[in-house]
Amino acid sequence: MIYLDYSATTPVNNEVLDTFVKATNAYIGNPNSLHKLGVESKKLIDASTEQISKLLNVSSKEIIYTSGATEANNAAILGVCYRYSNRGKHIITTKLEHSSITATLQYLQNHGYDIDFLETDSTGRVDLDNLKSLIRDDTILVTVASVNSEVGVIQPIEEIGNILKDYPKIYFHSDMTQSIGKINFNIENVDMISFSAQKIYGLKGIGCLIKKENIVIDPIIHGGKSTTIYRSGTPAVGLIVSVSKALRLVMENLDENYEYVYSLNKYLKDKLKDNKDIHINSNEYSIPHILNISIMGIKPETMLHALEEEDIYISTQTACASKATSSLAVYELTKNLEYSKYSIRISLSHLTKREELDTFYNVLIKKIEELKSLNESR
Amino acid sequence: MKVVKITAVWCSACLIMNKIWNKVIEKKPIETISLDLDFDEEESNKYTPGEVLPVFIFMDNDKEIKRITGEHTEEELIKILEEIGD
Repeated sequence: MIYLDYSATTPVNNEVLDTFVKATNAYIGNPNSLHKLGVESKKLIDASTEQISKLLNVSSKEIIYTSGATEANNAAILGVCYRYSNRGKHIITTKLEHSSITATLQYLQNHGYDIDFLETDSTGRVDLDNLKSLIRDDTILVTVASVNSEVGVIQPIEEIGNILKDYPKIYFHSDMTQSIGKINFNIENVDMISFSAQKIYGLKGIGCLIKKENIVIDPIIHGGKSTTIYRSGTPAVGLIVSVSKALRLVMENLDENYEYVYSLNKYLKDKLKDNKDIHINSNEYSIPHILNISIMGIKPETMLHALEEEDIYISTQTACASKATSSLAVYELTKNLEYSKYSIRISLSHLTKREELDTFYNVLIKKIEELKSLNESR
Repeated sequence: MKVVKITAVWCSACLIMNKIWNKVIEKKPIETISLDLDFDEEESNKYTPGEVLPVFIFMDNDKEIKRITGEHTEEELIKILEEIGD
């Protein structure tokens, strides 16, 4: 098998899985219970939270555990909107957000909120002057993902934070699901960030919302205090311990892994760039882990299944919004409908081997020729 | 005359066009049937929505007379309504 869909989800690191199993077996008490077993579970969670806070350079009081990034995104956006709707109902975002952001904003739009979208330049990065011009007295939230999941473009998060720090009544949220563990950001002026463990070789079912301690939001899941007042429910001890382990492992090797993935990306791009049937959509502002290309004239789904026949796995659009056949993100970046219609995403990891890319490339070229002749014969 | 509007909750262009369409129908009121590609899947598929969202289908006596997809300006939409109305 050649897996090239690491941005959809990653395989679980064995050390992380081992940590989860051991913690789940050894700590059976509900961390909210007052007896010894509960206190031990609580201590284990607190130690994990402390570790996450050190790794991300935030306060341990700022960490809210969720079921994943989708819930974290919902908690941040709805939490601010429910709490501060008396101040205003204006939100600023981009066209390059994950569906858990866009769908939440559409829900809010249906409930009277006004959503504005930032313009992007030819590289797909948001226009900072446009941000300044969109800010209004009733703006309560700006939400911009650090890295787009389809084309991988990195947004100027630090610069956005610097602009917004002059507006204390506007909260700045960033979905960092595609950047945590891959690249570092200065998050000093970001009020809330979301991420999930399943993108950093952790388990599915756990994510985090990091919220600055001084910011009060309304919870979206009610049930009283648990690890924080912002998210009720019995804390998932094993999952919480596993997310701290997963985060530690990716952060420890971040620079080394980045360099390696960068070299893989270049290696593959060099092979693909001169092929007349292929257009490379990702650009110099994209993280090396995501390589979005268009194979002209071949439907992405057809190519996905053709590669699947050879046990090679890539993706068409983000897994959460795969129904429409054109990629909105590729269109936003290239302004070319044909490129957006025929785009596929190859996502790389430090686990990817150069030989796997050789095999992938050879199979891809073979499949392009086969599918092209099939199209011509029709 | 009526308009069938097909959108999806995860589509940013749909949010943009919802806002613009609401402004348009304030100026030029027209019956709008709003369908969500996922939540109203069966009904949406009757109109073969295609590859680009949102889809605006202008209907006269249940017959499609014009279709536009993707993002358009308020002015463009008003112009279309005026042309169709004429």
